[in-house]
Formats: sequence, C-alpha cells, structure tokens
Amino acid sequence: MTDRKGIPRREFLKTAVAIGGTAAFSACLGREEIDVPTGPDDLSSYPQRQHAWNEILPRDDHGNVVAPHHRVLLFLNLQENGPPTEPDRTTVETALEGVEHAYERSGDGLLVTMSYSPAYFDRFDSSLPESVDLPDPEALAPFEDPKLDTPDAVVHLASNHAQVVLGAEEALEGNEATLNGVEQPDAALTDVFEAVDRRTGFIGDGLPAENADVDGVPTDKVPDDAPLFMGFKSGFEKNQASEDRVTIQAGPFANGTTQHISNLRLNLDQWYNQDDRWQREAKMFCPYHAENDVIEGTGDNLGDSSKIDECDPADETAREMGVVGHSQKSVSAREDDQPIILRRDFDSTDDGHAGLHFLALQREISDFVKTREAMNGTDIAEQSAVGQRNNNGILQYIRTQHRGNYLVPPRSLRALPPATPRTDSTQEVANASS
Amino acid sequence: MPTHVEGMEMAEMQSSGGYKCALTYTYPHRFWLVTGSRREKVDIKSNDSTHLMPVVWETETGIVPPDINPQVQITQDGESVAQLSPWPMLSQPMGFHFGDNVQLAGDGTYQVEVSIGAPSTRRTGALADNQGQTTFSFEFDFQQSALEEIMYRDIPSDTEGTDGAVDPMGMEMMPSTHVPAEADLPGTVHGSVTSGDAKFVVTTLSDATPFGGREDETYLAVSPRTPYNQYMLPLMSLSGTLSRGNDAIYDDILQSTIDPELGYHYGAVVSGVESGDELAITVDSPPQTARHEGYETAFFEMGEMSVSL
Ligand code: HEM
Repeated sequence: MTDRKGIPRREFLKTAVAIGGTAAFSACLGREEIDVPTGPDDLSSYPQRQHAWNEILPRDDHGNVVAPHHRVLLFLNLQENGPPTEPDRTTVETALEGVEHAYERSGDGLLVTMSYSPAYFDRFDSSLPESVDLPDPEALAPFEDPKLDTPDAVVHLASNHAQVVLGAEEALEGNEATLNGVEQPDAALTDVFEAVDRRTGFIGDGLPAENADVDGVPTDKVPDDAPLFMGFKSGFEKNQASEDRVTIQAGPFANGTTQHISNLRLNLDQWYNQDDRWQREAKMFCPYHAENDVIEGTGDNLGDSSKIDECDPADETAREMGVVGHSQKSVSAREDDQPIILRRDFDSTDDGHAGLHFLALQREISDFVKTREAMNGTDIAEQSAVGQRNNNGILQYIRTQHRGNYLVPPRSLRALPPATPRTDSTQEVANASS
Repeated sequence: MPTHVEGMEMAEMQSSGGYKCALTYTYPHRFWLVTGSRREKVDIKSNDSTHLMPVVWETETGIVPPDINPQVQITQDGESVAQLSPWPMLSQPMGFHFGDNVQLAGDGTYQVEVSIGAPSTRRTGALADNQGQTTFSFEFDFQQSALEEIMYRDIPSDTEGTDGAVDPMGMEMMPSTHVPAEADLPGTVHGSVTSGDAKFVVTTLSDATPFGGREDETYLAVSPRTPYNQYMLPLMSLSGTLSRGNDAIYDDILQSTIDPELGYHYGAVVSGVESGDELAITVDSPPQTARHEGYETAFFEMGEMSVSL
C-alpha cells in the first residue's frame, strides 16, 4: 500500500481486494470514482432466495449471465459455544441490513449470501429436516486429500466494484460508521462471530491476465481477454442449472439452496508451456471441438452453450482417442438434459498462488457429489487409455486444497437459523417448476 | 536409438503405507506429449534446472503403478518453489516413469513432498488391498555440477544410430518397470505378435476367480511390452475378439489391470479357450504416455493383430 501512486488504477484495485482492510478500502475510494446507488429503506421486497442473482445481473450479447467481478468469502466462527441466542440473531440481521441499505442489490451494487455449515447445525439438539441434504464435507476423489472446512458460517460478497465488496466487508466487521453515505447500524457480524479465514477472487474478461504475476501460472501466457486463468469462457446459459433447479423445494428451508465451496490450486505451467492449443481445447471441451476448430479465442463465439452436444460420448472418445474433455465428462451428471449445479466459481491469487474458489449451488449436496464424480471420470479411466489425471479433462492441472458444505437458508432465516425452524408446514416453493 | 543415453541420480528413498518412493533426477530433457495419436514436442526451456522423476512402487511386488500420479511440491525454507504433476512417460533407460522438467532456484537444498492418492486401475490378487493415500518427504540437495557429471556418462558414440534400445539402467534398489518375460508369465502362454514396434504376449489362466470370473471360466491376458527391454506399455485402450469358427466367443474391451504375477496387463474373462481359437487384438488408443527421445515415434501406428490359440 506504500507506493500507491505508482500503481495503475486497475492494477491497484485488483490487489486491494486480496489485501483487504480499512486502508485498502479507503485507497479504493480514492481511486475508483463510481456512483453506486444506495439500497432501499424498506428491504421487504427482496427475494426469499438469497441466491436469486440471475434476474438482476447483466447479460452478455448471447444472453449469458455476467458473473460479478470481485468476490470475498468470509469464514466465521461463533464466539460462544452452544446454540446462538435471539439477540445474536438480531445483531446478524441488523449488520446484514446495514450493508444492504448502503448498496443497491445489483451487479454494480452488492450481492450477499449468508450460509451455514453442518458443524454450525451440530450446535442444536435437533437435526436438520430431511428436506435438507447437508452432509459433512469429504474428499470427493480417490486421488485427493483436501482440508475439510468447518467454520460456522460463510458470507459471500460479490460486486463488479472492488470498493463495494471491501466496503461491505469493513462495515460487516464494524469498521465503518457510514457506508456509501448511509449510516451503519451499531451491530457487526464480528460482535457474535470471529473471522477465521478470508478468501478472495475475481472473474471477468481481462482480470486473470492482470493477476497472473503469481505462482502456478506463466505470467505472459494467459490471454488478455480471458475471464478465467485457464483461458476459456465458462458458465454458458445452457450449461448451468437454473436457480429453480438448485432451490430447495419444501420444508422450513424452502427457497434456500446448498453451497459447496472448494479451493482448487492451479498449476498451469504445463497447460500453457507444454500443451498446445489443440490439447487445451480437447481437454477443456472435447476432441471434436479441437479437431473442428469450434472454439475461437476464449470461446465467446460459442454463444450461449458449450456446444457439447456435438461431442461424441465421453467413454467413446476415451477409448478411441485416449483423451476426454472436462465439459464432455461433466455432461453425464445432467438430469433432464440440464446440469444440476449452478457454478459461481471465481479465480484467486490468495497466498500468492493461482487458484480457483469453486463455489457451486445445488438443491442437494449429493447433486454436487454426483457432478464431481462425473468430472473425476474414474470409470472412464478404468476402462480406457485415459489416466487418473493424464488426458482426463483438466485434472492434471488442478489440486483440491479445501472442501466445505453449507446451507444457504431463505432470506427470512439467514441470521443464525435453528436446525428445525418452526413453520406453518405449508411453506412450499410457489413456482416449483423443476 | 537416441543420440544420448542418460543416467540419473537418486536423491533419496522413502517407505510409507505399502509403497516406496525414490526421488530421482537427471538433466532437463526434451520430450513429446501424447494425446490420442498426436505427438507434441516439449522443448527444454532455458530456465529448466532438472528433469525430476518421483518413482513410486508397491513394496511387495516392486511394480510401479502407472495409475498413481505422484504430485510434487517443492519448497525452500518454507517458500514455495514449484508444484508439479509429473507426466506418465516412457524412456529407454528408465522405461515407464513419471517426470517433468522443473525450474529450481539454483544450487541448494530443497524440501520435496511427493503425495500419492488411491489407484484407479483395477488391481487383482494381493494388490487389491493397496489403496492408501500417502506422502513422502525428501531433502533434495541440488547441484548443477552433478547434472553435468551425469551428462558425461553418455554411451560411447560408435554405437549411436544402431538399432535397438539401450540397456536399462538397473540402478540398485530401484524397481523395474519390466513385465515378466514371456516364459515367466503365469498360465498357458500362446505366443506373441508384434504391432507398432511393441510385442504382445498372450496367455490364458484356467481359473478366472481371481479376476472376477468363475472357476470354470478362463482369464485371457494380453501383456504388451517394448521389444528389447520388455518395459510395460500402460495407458492403452485395447479390445479383443475371440473367435471359434464363425462364432465370436468374446468381443469387448481388454481391461487394464495390475496383478502381482502378470504385472500390468490387459485382460478379460471368457467362457473358455480351445485350441484353434483365434484372438484378434485391436489397439483403440496407443499408449498415452509422454515419450522421451528414442520412443518418440514408436508405438503409434498399431494395426490389428491376430493370434491362434
Ligand atoms: C479450474 C477449474 C475449472 C474450470 C476452468 C472449468 C471450466 C469449464 C468450462 C470452460 C466449461 C464449459 C463451458 C461451460 O459449460 O460453462 C465447464 C463446464 C462444466 N463444468 Fe467446469 N471448470 C472447472 C472446474 C469444475 C468443477 C470443480 C466442477 C464440479 C464438479 C465443474 C463442473 C462443470 C459442469 C457441471 C459443467 C457443465 C457440463 C454440462 O454442460 O452439463 N467444473 N467448466
């Protein structure tokens, strides 16, 4: 932070989120002159689904949702043992509403979700209802050995502006009397929680190339316009689960969802310095795409889908071509020809190493497990020339460091929910279209 | 026949959880990545320090499992220097191994951690129990001068360019990545065929129970190897058609399997084998291992083979 003047504006903003804190926030304010509308006084019209982001996020020319560029994940532990109290709940809700009054709910404003781990729900005598599938985290591949995260809660802050995620974080930690001109309540998450970890990141055209001066990625190789370190566009409309598909349909946590957060380390020296473009396309998408030059640049030309229907079945190319693509494999986890997880992942330079925080929403954690199993391609490797990692999608280049499972409750239960909330048992999702 | 033959050095050896691991290294090498039948040359970069090869084998059998990709983390005084996921590779001096060129920060001592996960190729016999994840920790004293010494131990130039592979290194205590010689294979050996420079030996075992079949069924095993050194050739897609007259008794994939007696091989349970049966072997994908010099063009064009049983 010392020689702030010498760093170009954008360059500075990206490191600001990774560094965090009051100094980074005020430096951002000085450098990033933006006008973010404040939120409404009355928040009662905000959707029950904390994860209802798609309707308010911008879309690109092809109709794909544009993911918010800057992210912070705050990992929190309750200070006290045992179940939380009513005053604790009031504190948490008041703190969250404070930042929502300060910034409007939008891509340029602030998007926030609050989520709770199985370890948190263990504080209660009763257990979660059957309508919630939230097991403890575990390793999800025979060849990985991740640390299993068990904080009580995780807050996900997202915005297209670095200063908004930083400001919200500062205010939630009780460090800002006013935020975006809006007076902040005398209640902070840190009154009841202790922050135990902080993970940050970014996604969006150009950001990875600007952040490539870290271990794990050759500095000059990430394409200038790539939205992710591996160089390809991701999250096409037709390759994502809908928000309906990932929403819990019944029970007290209806309108909630489950969230898996893993941290994957990227080692892209081989990817960029040894593999060629053909191999990158084949391993990320499928050999058909590589053979037929389906992908231009980062893949924006693909439109609103990864055109994975054009690939041969994964087990077939594995046998006959000795390679299988990541996207091609993942398709086998679909139901009704639709993916069952909603990916909201983003890149990271935490700890000075290129990585990815793979945050995914799904109705049940088992949907994630099933999808990850498809991505492992264990059966495919057993039956073909494809190896455990070799030519097996992108497994050669990623290493799972952390895994954690969380429940994102509906908005009305976002502040320290009990494991078995009392409800008028009729609460069900109105538009249960899927 | 390559123009150079290279030795290597072993930094250290460790045991853990039914496995042993030797951290070996040599000077940076160029090699070829293989994807399908495509070959992609990887040149040595000016800042490559060494070609690092963590060799992991099952203590009981000495078999190097090609399905267990060691992951390597190199640090120096707590600072991360490099992380890598070495490629499965074939070289004439070493046979099958995992390796890659890495960039270190000059002469000095490095801490190297090699982690392995559970296997993903079918195991039979005693090996079925070896499932553990484990980590090996090494102190690696790297000296540029040691690499130069390895380079000078080249083969004399008068044998260059002649046919045939160089002798395997046979470093003491190291496992070999040979498969059993034709005569040492268990079961009834029915001879061998050649395709794309590789030799495929066929054997049948009369009781298929250890391989997931019944006692009255037969296990049909195909054991491919390099022609001179008998190195295993893993990571292929093989299929087989067993015919008796006009009937196909079996027509499906031959699954890669690691067995303590057969070594790495490809096999299938069949109802039975009679003399006069014909076995057609198809290579659907050639070995998906990276290649060092000397093997860069071998084992690619592998036409269908036929053996009379
Ligand atoms: C470095 C990490 C990763 C990168 C760069 C990456 C990139 C991509 C890309 C480019 C696509 C195709 C475009 C699209 O459909 O959006 C894709 C598809 C997909 N990926 Fe990933 N991915 C990564 C990790 C994961 C992980 C950890 C999972 C979870 C198991 C996953 C699940 C999926 C799914 C479900 C699809 C869509 C499949 C379908 O169309 O049905 N990805 N990914």
